[in-house]
Amino acid sequence: MVEAGAWWTLLAAPALLLGLAVLAVTTDAALTARDAGRPVTVSAAMRPLLAVPRALVAQPRRMPAPDRVLWRAGVVSVPVAAVLSTLVIPFGNVAVADLSVGLVWFNAMEVLTWAGLWLAGWGPNAAFSLVGGYRFLAQGLAYELPLMFALISTATGAQSLRVGDIAAAQDGLWYAVWMPVAFVVYLAGVLAFSFLGPFAYPVGQDIAGGVLSETSGVDRLMLQAGRWLWLAAGAAMAVPLFLGGGAGPVLPAWAWSLIKTLLVLAVLVAAVRRLPVIRADRYVEFAWVVLIPLTIVQTLVPALVGLNR
Amino acid sequence: MDLTGTMLHAAAARPRVLVVSMPGGAAVRLAAERQLRLRDWPPATTPAQADLLLVAGPLCPYLNPALERLWQNLPAPRARAHVRTADEVLAALDAVRARLASTAAQRDQETPAETDSRPRHDRRHEQSAEQDGTGGHTSQEKAARDGEHGEESVPDRGNGRYIGSGSDHSSRKRHHGSHGREEKKGDGGDAHEDHQGHGGHGGIEMPGGLPMAGQGEDRDGLTLDRLHVPLGPLLSDWPAGLTLRLVLQGDVVQAADLDEEPLFASRPVESFWVQPWLRSAAGEAVGSGEAVRRRAAARLDSLGRLLMVAGWPAEAMKAHRLRDDLLDGAPAAALASRLERLARRVGRSRTLFWLTRGLGVVTARDARAAGVSGPAARADGDVAARYRRWLTDIRHDVARLDDSSALDPAEESPRGRWDARQPPSAALVALLPHLLDGTELAAARLIVASLDPDMDELAAHSSEGAARG
Repeated sequence: MVEAGAWWTLLAAPALLLGLAVLAVTTDAALTARDAGRPVTVSAAMRPLLAVPRALVAQPRRMPAPDRVLWRAGVVSVPVAAVLSTLVIPFGNVAVADLSVGLVWFNAMEVLTWAGLWLAGWGPNAAFSLVGGYRFLAQGLAYELPLMFALISTATGAQSLRVGDIAAAQDGLWYAVWMPVAFVVYLAGVLAFSFLGPFAYPVGQDIAGGVLSETSGVDRLMLQAGRWLWLAAGAAMAVPLFLGGGAGPVLPAWAWSLIKTLLVLAVLVAAVRRLPVIRADRYVEFAWVVLIPLTIVQTLVPALVGLNR
Repeated sequence: MDLTGTMLHAAAARPRVLVVSMPGGAAVRLAAERQLRLRDWPPATTPAQADLLLVAGPLCPYLNPALERLWQNLPAPRARAHVRTADEVLAALDAVRARLASTAAQRDQETPAETDSRPRHDRRHEQSAEQDGTGGHTSQEKAARDGEHGEESVPDRGNGRYIGSGSDHSSRKRHHGSHGREEKKGDGGDAHEDHQGHGGHGGIEMPGGLPMAGQGEDRDGLTLDRLHVPLGPLLSDWPAGLTLRLVLQGDVVQAADLDEEPLFASRPVESFWVQPWLRSAAGEAVGSGEAVRRRAAARLDSLGRLLMVAGWPAEAMKAHRLRDDLLDGAPAAALASRLERLARRVGRSRTLFWLTRGLGVVTARDARAAGVSGPAARADGDVAARYRRWLTDIRHDVARLDDSSALDPAEESPRGRWDARQPPSAALVALLPHLLDGTELAAARLIVASLDPDMDELAAHSSEGAARG
């Protein structure tokens, strides 16, 4: 059973999330080094972290007539929402706050990135940045509804919105096994709200980095960190939702949580490199014609099972 | 060592580099990209993201104002280098990184800025305006062209990465308007009056004194803002020297015009990719194997660029690495397995096919009519058909690397049959405006990348023409 943690978990959860995000970044850097024909060493993998001193010495950027307040608000809200989302994610049997509507909390934080990225695109008053912001809205319309149905499937199966209950309800059979569609859609959703890999459309290379194109220094660090923090948070949330939480033989619950999270994170990092950017103009059609009906049917399955029990 | 110094030093260990390729700078760009890959200095796509500005190739006077604006847009700490030949790349990179890491060099650079109390963007505009003022007739021409846009005034939404037609005009006005009153920060009113005369937007206060975007009907019958956004000549993953002036509504291209500035007339330029053909035409003995190697590398370069635009940096990196190895003279056996993997992963990617299908269709008949030869004509189809054609061609070429027979002039050059008077890239460029009409910005970029004209071929042609005329 999941219980609320002591006060110090409030500090431990963000630290753990940061650790996972750094691990994802360094793994990605190591794979890049291999592809580029550079030696794959620990120091090669750690090199992306040099972005931190770089951000601290960099001059903040001003554009002609920017919307400074909204720009800052947008940039800051992405990593902050990622950190806040971890409050309800149980690690082993402990969550910072085991809210009765934990699943809704997670979803709400994730939707905050909509506002964040849009504002970050709007703020600098530059064409490509604005196009990037618009792109995230189009992408959001495509990924959000299937993702919500995927989340609802798990809640329906457990007949509770409490994340701890959802993890506990998978005693014996993981939701990943009997709700595979929801699981896959959820993983795609994680890539989408961290706007990485196939869902890097709002920061596309073809529009010179889109939302990221006018950011420098700390602003840029915030947005980039926000992406990887979200990836880590999404991987951690997949464990209680689809992989039975901390349940497992021999090892303690926290160890199982960690192992499962790392596995999901590895899958996500591989997916980031494996696919080209999926443009929203093609993806929206696929999402609305294929994914939404599929996920609705998927939600129906646990509903019918629940009624017949 | 002080804290700032330590930080500067650490940050300079992995600088982001904005590589700007000048006409005729392909060889330098390739050498630089190779070094950046091996050193893990990530490429930047905009000045905001960059620490270093690396200008590759001989300077082109026409591009100087654009370069200067780029430089003004780089946030400090920053450093720039100009590399004329491929041999200088190594030394230049080391020197420029040392300058980036040095507290003293960075402070020197900052001194004039600290005495200036105005906001940074004002300074930037003023400096770019001065640059334009010294630019002679080019800037005059530009201003004249701005006037032609008529009621659709151009807001400065672009960043310094591009030659922004609107920003030059308004910044010059602003410069004159605020000259000598450096201490007055809130001079928006004066600038605004300037714009009233210029844009005629009534009494509405415009943010930052920028003109508003004009409106017009889009393809769906909605009234949307029209933005004039130039693509190029200095854009990452873009044919160096190509400039397209787009009218955007949302991200839909309503009109695309080629900018036919006399970009190269000032000096002769030799296209790196068709060198074997040029030398063969000049009577030198050139082996087929060498030409085929150059051709395969050119197509890998194009493929890498397309993959970058398609948002697949992991595979683009592999294509670029193969390209560099080919240019290094690696034997076919050393490349075969990696090439095979790339061809499989990219050529058989259902996702990439789904995303590029139906974009920019050029049928074989259209191609013939437009004078296009080479892979774009043989592909007979959309973007997907073209990159698959490239992959097939590259595999054939790599099998022929050891061919030692003399180069047959009929052998296809990277972009098509070589003809000095009618370079194959000219036909590709001519196709663009029509193909881009009504596409989305992302699709437009993919179409350009899938044709990937080599602007140096045109430059060689125009300079030849100038020499003859």
